[in-house]
Amino acid sequence: MVVEQDAPEIVDIPINMGPQHPSTHGVFRMVLVVSGEQVLDVTPHIGYMHRGGEKLMETMDFRQGIGYADRTEYLAQFSAELAYCLAVERLMDIEVPERAQYIRVILTELNRLSSHFMFMGAFGIDSGLFGTSFTYAFREREYIQDVFEEVSGDRLMYAYFRVGGLAWEVTDNFVERVHEVLKSSAQGIQDLDDLLTRNEIFVARCQNIGAFTAQQAIANGLSGPLLRASGVPWDLRKDEPYSVYDRFKFEVPVGHYGDVYDRYLVRLEEMRQSIKIIEQALEQLPPEGPIVPEKMPRRLRTPPGEVYAKVEAPRGEWGVYLVSKGGDKPYRLKMRSPSFCNLSALREMTIGQYLADAVMILGSMDIVLCCVDR
Amino acid sequence: MAEGEEQQAAPAPGEADGAPGSPPPPAASAAASGATPPKPAAAKPPRPAREAEPKEAPRVAPPPGSINETLAAAVPGVAMRAYLVPALAGESVAVEVAPADVPAVMTAARDDPRLALTYLRCLSGVDWQDEGLEVVYHLASFDTGQQLTLKTRVTYADPVVPSVASIFPAADWHEREARDMFGIVFEGHPNLVPILLPDDMTDHFPLRKDNPLQEIDEWQGENLREGAGEGDE
Repeated sequence: MVVEQDAPEIVDIPINMGPQHPSTHGVFRMVLVVSGEQVLDVTPHIGYMHRGGEKLMETMDFRQGIGYADRTEYLAQFSAELAYCLAVERLMDIEVPERAQYIRVILTELNRLSSHFMFMGAFGIDSGLFGTSFTYAFREREYIQDVFEEVSGDRLMYAYFRVGGLAWEVTDNFVERVHEVLKSSAQGIQDLDDLLTRNEIFVARCQNIGAFTAQQAIANGLSGPLLRASGVPWDLRKDEPYSVYDRFKFEVPVGHYGDVYDRYLVRLEEMRQSIKIIEQALEQLPPEGPIVPEKMPRRLRTPPGEVYAKVEAPRGEWGVYLVSKGGDKPYRLKMRSPSFCNLSALREMTIGQYLADAVMILGSMDIVLCCVDR
Repeated sequence: MAEGEEQQAAPAPGEADGAPGSPPPPAASAAASGATPPKPAAAKPPRPAREAEPKEAPRVAPPPGSINETLAAAVPGVAMRAYLVPALAGESVAVEVAPADVPAVMTAARDDPRLALTYLRCLSGVDWQDEGLEVVYHLASFDTGQQLTLKTRVTYADPVVPSVASIFPAADWHEREARDMFGIVFEGHPNLVPILLPDDMTDHFPLRKDNPLQEIDEWQGENLREGAGEGDE
C-alpha cells in the first residue's frame, strides 16, 4: 500500500522585530519576510523618535541651535556641533582662532574614540558575547567622558562649541588629562582587539555577511566606516579638509570585502588613527591664545545665503545644509545624518542573508536612532 | 571681504534696538517727579537706521571653465541657471534646472566621465513660500573631487518632481522625507509612503512655512532682565 503524502506547504512568514528590541539600538522596527532562515524582504520602519528637530531649529537663533545638534547625535555630539558651527561661521565669514581649532579637533577625535568604543561594546553583544566587550568598552568610554565633563560641565549634552570658537577655556590640566586618557584608550583598544578580532565565534558571525561592493556603497549613499570598508578611501578629514585637519598625518583604513567584519576592522583601526591625530594636535596646540575671535559680533546674524557644511563624524558624513534669509535664525536647516543615509541601505544589504545575520548587519551600521529620526 | 566688515558693525544698531520697553534712564526719571513726566525721547539720540541688509544672496556667475559648462555640454538643450554658492572651503557651483530636466541632468552628471558625480550626498526640500518649493541635490565625485548643487523649483499647486531614486538609490529615503515634510511628490518613486511621519499623515506638511510652531514664551534675552543681551557674555 502506498501512502500518499501532500508535500509540505512552504509559506513566507513575516516576522516583526522591534520597535522595542534589544538589538535595534533604540526605537526601530523592521518587518522581515523569511522563508525558513533566509530573509526575502525587509521593511524598515523609522520615525518613532521624530521630534521635528529641523523645524525647531528654524525657531532657534544660531547660539541655541548648537544645543539641539547635541541632542540629535547623542554619541558624537562634538561632530554635530562642529558641523553646525562651521556652517554658520562660513556664512558669517568668521575666522576661528588657532587654539580653539585645535581644542575642537582634540575633542572631536576623542568623541570618535568614545563613539567607536560604544560600537565595539554594543556590537559584541549583538554577536553573542554578552557583556564582556561591553564592559571593556564602557570602562574606556567612561574615562573619555570624564574629560568631556571636566571641560564642558556635562556628561552628554556638551554644547561647548560656539560659533567662532569655544564657550570657555579648557581646564588647566586638560593636556595631561587627555594624555592619560589616550594611554588608557590605547590599552582599551588593544584589549578589544585581543578579545574580538581573532575570536572564532565572532569571526564566524561577521565574515561574509552583508557585503557591499564599492559601487553599491557609493550608489546607496553610504559614508564613513561603511563606505571605507567597501574599499572606497574617502574620508572628509583628508579629502575635503576642514578646521585644521590638513595639518595632521594619519592613515585612512580601507576594507577589501565590504562585509560586517571589515566594518569592524576599519573602526578598530580608525580609533588608533584618532589617537595619532590627538597626539599631534596636543603637540601643536598653542599653549595660550584667544578661543573666540576678538571682533565677535554680539548678535549672530548671517547675510542671506546658503552653505552645505560637512564633517567626518564617527558614523560618516554629518552634513548641515543651512539656508539663511538674513537675520539671526536659519531659514531652513537640513541635517544630513549619516545614520539615516546608511540605514536606507539596510534592505539591499539584508535581503538574501540569514535571519540571525540581520541583527549583525544592523549592528555593523552603528546607527543612532535619534540621529536617524531627528 | 567687505561683507564681513558689515557684520562686525551690525550689532551697534541692535543695541539701540533693545531699548524699547525698558524704563527711561535715571536722569530723566529724576526730573520727572512732577505730574507730567516729560518724554525722555528728546534726550535720546535719534536711532541710527539699521544698516540695510541685503534681502537676497548675490547671484555671482561662476568663472569660465566651471563645472556648469561641462554639465551643459553633457546635456545639450537644457536650460540652466548657474551661480556660485559658498562651500566650506571657497565656493561651489549651483545649477538651477526645470523639474522635468532633473532625471536627464542627474543621469548625465553620474555617467559622464568628465563629471562622474556618482555620490548623492544630500537631498533637501526648501519652502520659499511665494516662490514655490525647492528641491536641492548635493552631488559629489570621489574620482574627480568635484561638487555640484542642483536645484529645481515647483509650485504649491503642482509640486511634482520626477524621482531620481532609480538613478541614485540613495535618494529613496530622502525623497520620502521631502514628501513628508514639504508635500513634494516624486513621480516614479517606487514606494512614496511616509517615512518619518505616521502612516496616515499624508495631508499635512510640517516643514512648510505656512505651518508655524505654536507661540512660545521668550524666556531669554530681552524679557530676562533689563539690557540683557547687550553686554558681553
